[in-house]
Amino acid sequence: MSFMKELTKGIIKENPTFVIVLGMCPTLATSTSVNNAIGMGLAATFVLICSNIFISLIKNITPDKIRIPVYVIVIAAFVSIVDMSMAAYLPALHKSLGLFIPLIVVNCIIMGRAEAYANKNNVINSIADGIGMGLGFTLALCLVATIREILGNGTWLNIRVMPETYDPMLITLLAPGAFITLGLLMGLMNMLKEKK
Amino acid sequence: MKIFLQLGLILLAFCVVATALLAYVNSITKPQIDSIQQKEAEETRRKLIPDSDFEEIQGEFTYYIAKDSKTGEVKGYVFTAEKNGYNGPVKTMAAVDKDYNIIAINVIQQTETPGLGTNSTQPKFTDQFKGKTVEQLIVDKDGGVPPNCIKAITGATITTRAVTNSLKESIEMLKTQVQTKNITPNETGAKEEVNK
Amino acid sequence: MGFLGQLFTMAISAILIQNFVLSRFLGLCPYLGVSKKMDSAFGMGMAVIFVMTMASAFCYLIYQYILVPFELEYLQTLAFILTIAALVQFVEMFIKKNSPALYKSLGVYLPLITTNCAVLGVAILNITPLADGTRYNFIWAVLNGFLSGVGFTFVLLAMAGIRERLEMAEMPKSMRGMPSGLILAGTMALAFYGFMGMKF
Repeated sequence: MSFMKELTKGIIKENPTFVIVLGMCPTLATSTSVNNAIGMGLAATFVLICSNIFISLIKNITPDKIRIPVYVIVIAAFVSIVDMSMAAYLPALHKSLGLFIPLIVVNCIIMGRAEAYANKNNVINSIADGIGMGLGFTLALCLVATIREILGNGTWLNIRVMPETYDPMLITLLAPGAFITLGLLMGLMNMLKEKK
Repeated sequence: MKIFLQLGLILLAFCVVATALLAYVNSITKPQIDSIQQKEAEETRRKLIPDSDFEEIQGEFTYYIAKDSKTGEVKGYVFTAEKNGYNGPVKTMAAVDKDYNIIAINVIQQTETPGLGTNSTQPKFTDQFKGKTVEQLIVDKDGGVPPNCIKAITGATITTRAVTNSLKESIEMLKTQVQTKNITPNETGAKEEVNK
Repeated sequence: MGFLGQLFTMAISAILIQNFVLSRFLGLCPYLGVSKKMDSAFGMGMAVIFVMTMASAFCYLIYQYILVPFELEYLQTLAFILTIAALVQFVEMFIKKNSPALYKSLGVYLPLITTNCAVLGVAILNITPLADGTRYNFIWAVLNGFLSGVGFTFVLLAMAGIRERLEMAEMPKSMRGMPSGLILAGTMALAFYGFMGMKF
């Protein structure tokens, strides 16, 4: 498979959020604003690429029996690095993402790609897979966040898009709105797929 | 048994490498994180009482004395108040003048409900604290009479209470701290307080 | 407030007001994935309660007596996830040896729990300072883990009960499965928002 094909499959055809349905927790929790969504998406993408590279490199020297604990250590190490760097250089974003930064460790997307892809493929393809899946995740997050931020706050990336008189639908920013928005989006995607 | 020992050693090696890496990153980011936190606090203090120098008074209740940067005259005090809101601690930094009337406040840390409790950081909410005396720090829903009270944010009475009551308690603490400190004579600026 | 009063407050808060799944968004993967059948939901719930309680205890001890004294707080994430992974492995082996019947009903869910963010979430929340700057002590941390697990199981079972019936319902094909499950979760979260004002 070519590099480009590996790269693009994660964005639409095998989108981790909408198609494989992994990593639901951060998708719902950090999509209250587009800003947060981009931050979370890029943090997860970074960890995903690094762990994919590393796991692909060491796949021949790790005994099969302890591969899962090894993945956990590798992922946790990269997550901690992201956590600390973010606190140091992007303090505002770090504050608003809060608990969900350390929780990237248990984001099923990263673990899932390590086990299903990086463990079996070479480094170059693993990088492509990491970038593709990461971007797919980020885009899905942004899509959900766009809907929620515009309806719930009348803004997009903190820029006002709705007229001043618009009364924000607060519910879309709260927990129930998150579930319902994602549910309807997924239904819509399924419908589009059927039509094809 | 030997195979288990071998596996254990490999895992241990991974742990050691990960720990070393994290220790290195930590040593770079730690000073940066600390300095950011200090800088942020310093900036907030400046915003609350502009053109002042601050002197930290540590004790049971830590606060800062704000002195005019030109004349050295005591303008007031800055402190941080904290209380549980709806979803966790709400931290407010506040400045009061020498008569303990509020000059300005700034909600510096909160994890309240997006769209409801988070409105506590907006100027629309914080501005109403300006000029309030300790007695006037009461939420309208708790029997305050407008305009001598704090108007609760719609749908976020608990957050409003957390901010208002934490300020009230902290000002009382500040009063006793300043008074006990002034009994032991030290600075010229502080002595004036006793005479009043 | 006495011990029982505090316990009651914590229980209400962990199960209803700040439910892990519906208001904190933790543990969604198993919540959506294992809620199609009542039986499997029950097995998963029990396994989660057990692991969450154990993980709360172990992670708290490790943080308090190893990481803090040696100023290694930055290793928190790594240490906690390894503890949980090891714990799950150990529990699995223990149950397999001592109670094959229990293993049969819980076994398949155990490995899944390592990647359940509710477990890591509760371990981190337990050591996060509260409003007054203090932290839970050991007993409260363990109780918090247990009660949060109960809260998780509670909504998981409710969800499974509704979904079993929803199987028969007529609905557009594109809404079947995950989309309808998510909207269902949203409606449940809406109902749980009614508990919001219940603050002690």
